[in-house]
Amino acid sequence: MPLNDADLVARVLVDDDHHAFAELVRNHQSAVRGLLRQLTRNDVALADDLAQEAFLRAYKNIRSFRGEAKFSTWLYRIAYNCFREEARKRKELVGIDETKLEAEQDPQTVDPALKHDLMHALQLLPLNERTAILLCCQNGLSHDEAARVLDIPLGTVKTNVLRGREKLKKTLAAWGPN
Amino acid sequence: MDEQLQEDWLERRLREEMPYIDDAGFTARVVQKLPAPVSRQSWRAVILISVTLLASVVTYLASDGGRFLVVAAYRFASMPLVFISLVAICATLVATAVAASAAVAQTRETR
Repeated sequence: MPLNDADLVARVLVDDDHHAFAELVRNHQSAVRGLLRQLTRNDVALADDLAQEAFLRAYKNIRSFRGEAKFSTWLYRIAYNCFREEARKRKELVGIDETKLEAEQDPQTVDPALKHDLMHALQLLPLNERTAILLCCQNGLSHDEAARVLDIPLGTVKTNVLRGREKLKKTLAAWGPN
Repeated sequence: MDEQLQEDWLERRLREEMPYIDDAGFTARVVQKLPAPVSRQSWRAVILISVTLLASVVTYLASDGGRFLVVAAYRFASMPLVFISLVAICATLVATAVAASAAVAQTRETR
């Protein structure tokens, strides 16, 4: 019977069990790497480096995981912090050049041929809306959990999800349900 | 209605479009970079045994060759059987309660 996250974390805590931690990495690597790929606009190498850094930080700080949130939520938070630090280093964090980004992201300017591509549409969203959409709609986190991951108020998460979804709907209007 | 349909479609697409990323050696690379496990268990055992031995020697020397143990054992043996049984039961209950509370605390911590 496969062990759940809590059992695996307990093994890492008590026995410093590398096999248990490897199991945790295996269980969550796809979601964490997927999230980071979206956040880094599909820079696969950078996303994987950040994911590796996130898992190493998780291992080093596993004693600070108190189990108040799900392990995945705690992990996303670490991964998002890794991304933010990297973005700060590269001065690419949204807000630094918001006007340029807004111009890039105007749905009217999107090539209609690319409208079918949901992933591409996601890349066009501002970082805060994209992250909220990825966490809540794609990774299935509740608004409350996403607020913990992003360390922002619950209301802001809800607003970002709502705005992001509206923009996606506009961008993908021609590809809606038939 | 159309609005709701479109919203449901979008939610569904978002979930379906999340591709599974094959591990392709990622886990192995992470595990390779983990710091080597510290053998705390063996150190803990060495420290505990050393301290216990040292304390035993000190107590033995300070108590006139452990004479107090002989006296205490004699006194205990001369007590009524009912009293000895009660002491044994109480000691067992206390030990069980301490162990159970420690187990519960450990479980909460790791959740």
